[in-house]
Amino acid sequence: MFNFFLQHSLSIILIASIVAPVVISFLPSKEHICRKVTLIFSLFILANILILIFTKFDPSLPALQCVENYRWFGDTIRIKLGCDGLSIAMVLLMAILLPVTIIASESIAKEKPKLYYSMLMLLTTSVLGVFVAQDLFLFFLFWELELIPMYFLIAIWGGPNREYAAMKFLIYTFTAGICMFAAVLVMFFASGAGTFDMEVLSKFSKNIPYTFQVASFFLFFVCFIIKLPSFPFHTWLPDAHVEAPTPVSMLLAGILLKMGGYGIYRICVGFFPDILAEFGLWIALLGAVNIVGAAIACLVQDDMKRIIAYSSVSHMGFVLLGVASLTAAGFSGGIFQMFSHGLISAALFMLVGTLYERTHTRLISDYGGMTKYMPKCFYFFTLASMANLALPALSGFVGESLVFYGAFSSKYFAEFPTRLYFNYGQICVLFSSLGVILTAGYMLWLLQKVFMGPENTRWSKLNDLRLSEVAVLSILMALVILYGVYPFSLSNLYEPSSKALLDIVTKIIPS
Amino acid sequence: MSDSILYCSWLIAAVPLISAILIIFFFHSSKKLSAFLSIGSVAYGLIHSLLVLYFTYINPGKTIEVNFPWISAGAFKLFVGYLIDPLCAMMLVVVCSVSFFVQVYTHGYMKEDPSYSKFYAYLSLFTFSMLGLVLSTNLFQSYIFWELVGVCSYLLIGFWWYKKTAANACTKAFVVNRIGDAGLLIGLLMFYFSTQKFWSDKTTLAFSELKNAIDYSVHSGILPVVGVISITTIAIFVLMGPMAKSAQFPLHIWLPDAMEGPTPISALIHAATMVAAGVYLIARTYPLYVSSPVAMGTVAWIGGITALFAATIALSQFDIKRALAYSTCSQLGYMVMALGLGAYSAGLFHLMTHAFFKAMLFLCSGSVIVACHHEQDMREMGGLKKHMPITSLTCLIGVLAISGFPLMSGFWSKDMILASAWEHNKPLFILGSFTALLTAFYMFRLYFMTFSGKYRGHAHPHETTPSITIPLVCLAVPSVFIGLIGSPLIPGGDKFSSFIHFGETHLHHEWGMNVFIHELMSVQGLVPLGAFVIGTFMAWLVYRKGFALNTYIQKNLSFVYNLSFNKWYIDEIYSGILNKVILPAYRVLWNVIDKVIVDGVFVNGSARVVSIVGGGLRLIETGRGQLYALVIFGSVLFSIMFMLTKFK
Repeated sequence: MFNFFLQHSLSIILIASIVAPVVISFLPSKEHICRKVTLIFSLFILANILILIFTKFDPSLPALQCVENYRWFGDTIRIKLGCDGLSIAMVLLMAILLPVTIIASESIAKEKPKLYYSMLMLLTTSVLGVFVAQDLFLFFLFWELELIPMYFLIAIWGGPNREYAAMKFLIYTFTAGICMFAAVLVMFFASGAGTFDMEVLSKFSKNIPYTFQVASFFLFFVCFIIKLPSFPFHTWLPDAHVEAPTPVSMLLAGILLKMGGYGIYRICVGFFPDILAEFGLWIALLGAVNIVGAAIACLVQDDMKRIIAYSSVSHMGFVLLGVASLTAAGFSGGIFQMFSHGLISAALFMLVGTLYERTHTRLISDYGGMTKYMPKCFYFFTLASMANLALPALSGFVGESLVFYGAFSSKYFAEFPTRLYFNYGQICVLFSSLGVILTAGYMLWLLQKVFMGPENTRWSKLNDLRLSEVAVLSILMALVILYGVYPFSLSNLYEPSSKALLDIVTKIIPS
Repeated sequence: MSDSILYCSWLIAAVPLISAILIIFFFHSSKKLSAFLSIGSVAYGLIHSLLVLYFTYINPGKTIEVNFPWISAGAFKLFVGYLIDPLCAMMLVVVCSVSFFVQVYTHGYMKEDPSYSKFYAYLSLFTFSMLGLVLSTNLFQSYIFWELVGVCSYLLIGFWWYKKTAANACTKAFVVNRIGDAGLLIGLLMFYFSTQKFWSDKTTLAFSELKNAIDYSVHSGILPVVGVISITTIAIFVLMGPMAKSAQFPLHIWLPDAMEGPTPISALIHAATMVAAGVYLIARTYPLYVSSPVAMGTVAWIGGITALFAATIALSQFDIKRALAYSTCSQLGYMVMALGLGAYSAGLFHLMTHAFFKAMLFLCSGSVIVACHHEQDMREMGGLKKHMPITSLTCLIGVLAISGFPLMSGFWSKDMILASAWEHNKPLFILGSFTALLTAFYMFRLYFMTFSGKYRGHAHPHETTPSITIPLVCLAVPSVFIGLIGSPLIPGGDKFSSFIHFGETHLHHEWGMNVFIHELMSVQGLVPLGAFVIGTFMAWLVYRKGFALNTYIQKNLSFVYNLSFNKWYIDEIYSGILNKVILPAYRVLWNVIDKVIVDGVFVNGSARVVSIVGGGLRLIETGRGQLYALVIFGSVLFSIMFMLTKFK
């Protein structure tokens, strides 16, 4: 019996997140009831994942585990669920962030609580679905499903300019969806595999004519870097973040961006290793431009949320750089970076949200000396800022140093020497290290402007963090410290899968 | 017994960490308990590290290294662990003892402060990070703790966050250090990348294997000594870390501002331990520098220039802590210069003696500041000798020690450095001796302005409490005597160099009074002594006898005076570049790229084109998300149906 549950735990968590909105719709329209019920569902999902990881899931196997394969539309489109280390790491991140977000939703969801929590759970379904779907068509469906709850979450509970932001988000994501849909169809028809099964397709992708391969690679890639986001498709993110309510921002930065990163790993690397090896250098360059460019953008913002949003763009650049390096360290670092950024950015958005909720302004110049009124907030903000600027012993450092090392030592980049003795990849790393300095600059500058110096007496009536807020932040920060001090606890989970992906690629490049 | 004590030395670092955690989470409401925990933990560390020093001393050549894996990805592995060797044992004692006395002092200095417990928690955290840095087995672990001491320094400089100056200072300190750290990280990457094969079965970047790694890579032709990717470049990138941390020109700008933090912090972090970590790291990575003459030369000259440059600024400062800060900068310059000259033992010897007397000098300044009701301007002091006999006496000892009064600790270490400068590099000898003259002048200026003459301020100065004066007296003892272990006066001669040295060295030195006299009567002995005498005499003339040299320079050579008083305008130049060039350029860049090109042309532009071209589509494009969602789902459904008909 127990074993049956374990075997089907992926579909169980999906079903739980689908059932949740239905249950919520029968509840009375009271915020605290809806919140508690949603919290129960989210904890159920979290418990399921944890049990799965600690019992059935064997991290040392690179292959898919807990596979469930059902007929859906004939034999071509199937419901195939499964997870390897990469998926389970992302699912775990979602499962951790969900209860945290629900606790943080208390003040936002006062208005239309039922709809809000239903949308949140619908979003969960789609995100979890993306990470566990092993059928390309199912993957696409879950990917597109995310659009609907997200649009409403921004457009109904958002800030003053929410219509514009939600529409911009919708258009961008819709474009991404079209790209992916086209790519999926190209894959299906050109490969001749007669199935959408991702495992099968990844083997058949070599049979596709070269031009089709390049076309579908780029369609997928554009779709994923819109989501990641990366220059030049990143401008939806600051707008969406600024207008989105705090918990939605937490989820958006915490997990939705990782869908892009996950897609790159799963599809761009898994399906098209040759094309990746061909354009890897450009991707690395894109990563470096993101890291430094977004950090520069952060330095000139006057809106707190925009800083954190651009900071996400900057940190996701590491994922691109890591993937493009085609090394074990780079791959591993990219995954670690996604996970750790999920925790750190959620904490930062939470902190900015707590300030906004109390003051209703996001302009940095309106603040000053907030430590006096909100000392707890200051401590958490300091810790989160330090994590964001990759202080060693906090999780941000592990990912970034792995990526730097991977890109610097990459054999693949060594094929692109320059006259300056460093190869192109190394020059990207040297350039990106500028981002490390700039990150320290903008985070500490933000911290200084908001929390230090003479206090602004306008805010003397403010209350410090509530117990629920402290709880949320403590959980996030405890994980940040855990993974920073003992990175094996996370990297053990995904390392074999990351290595398996790498093996696909290294077969391609001549050593 | 000795083994188990050595193998447990990780406890020296772990106990302060535990005490920090306990204070933060459980005992922050009890002042007594937090002080007790913090002081107790470092007292334990002091006893343990003294034992470690003793056992390392009686078993020469015995080193202990324990490593644990920290992360691995493919062939890339990183380790953390602890390494006990003479250098580490010496540093442990220095850090623990200074930290101990500073923490006792803190009780007196901070007892009125509402955040008293928090201060102790940070102190414990700092002690942990610093000890972790000292115990590191490899460069990578050093980097971890290197950043952690940086963040502790950040927290403690910004301890009084409500002061605008403190808020600026802590950000500045961290960002400047980050520049150095980025260089250090690149250096590490380049080094590891070039010697990858060598580390495959060893602890990555271990200090104990550094020399072999370099020999291996040079002999097998992977890494040239000079070139773009070479030992020299790596050494210079790695040097950027120590340059920032040890406040070497041109990255020195953060240290004087860091004096905005509470005085115990200035004594512990910004005089005795953390700023010396840069020197320590150069010593640890010494094989890298030794194999590249260019890198050695760079180190020596950066040190020498910093020593002179900071000393010239210290001449005209009126803030007592800033004057001491520039003096720290200058002394660190001496240490770096010594290492660059190949005088490994001399540089570390000066690190040790300086830690004691400079910590004491800062604590003295703190005592004065408390007595004068938080006045830091020396023009508002004077005549404090009458009111504060203990502070003035210990301060005099410190001043004598730093200026090189014969037989006091600073005398021995500075002489050692200048002697090796005489041997290897005459210009640096002249530079160093001139700096010694300036040092004697500005230190006695500080002493005379503060303690002699008439009191010029408006407070009612009084001797401070025992918890402040006792650490002063305790630190005065090593300030006077610690230098003797490196002197030829004790039986067996220079014990310090026989204990801590790089490469082969003769374990027995000449010793006796005759040797001392002989060494003193040479050029390299007489010149520094002369510098001390002249500097002191001039300070006495100017600040005791009213010989108006200072006002003369101020009036008639105002250019020179202003240059010194305004710190060579380095801060102005940097902030000008940052605020007038870099930030506006960034703003323009962001506006053009994000707002105009991407958002303006790409996004809104394409939307406009669409709306012009497809005016007729307005019926469908209502801007309602629901409709769009409907369209998407409709298309998806349609495509599914389409495929179903196709694949039966």
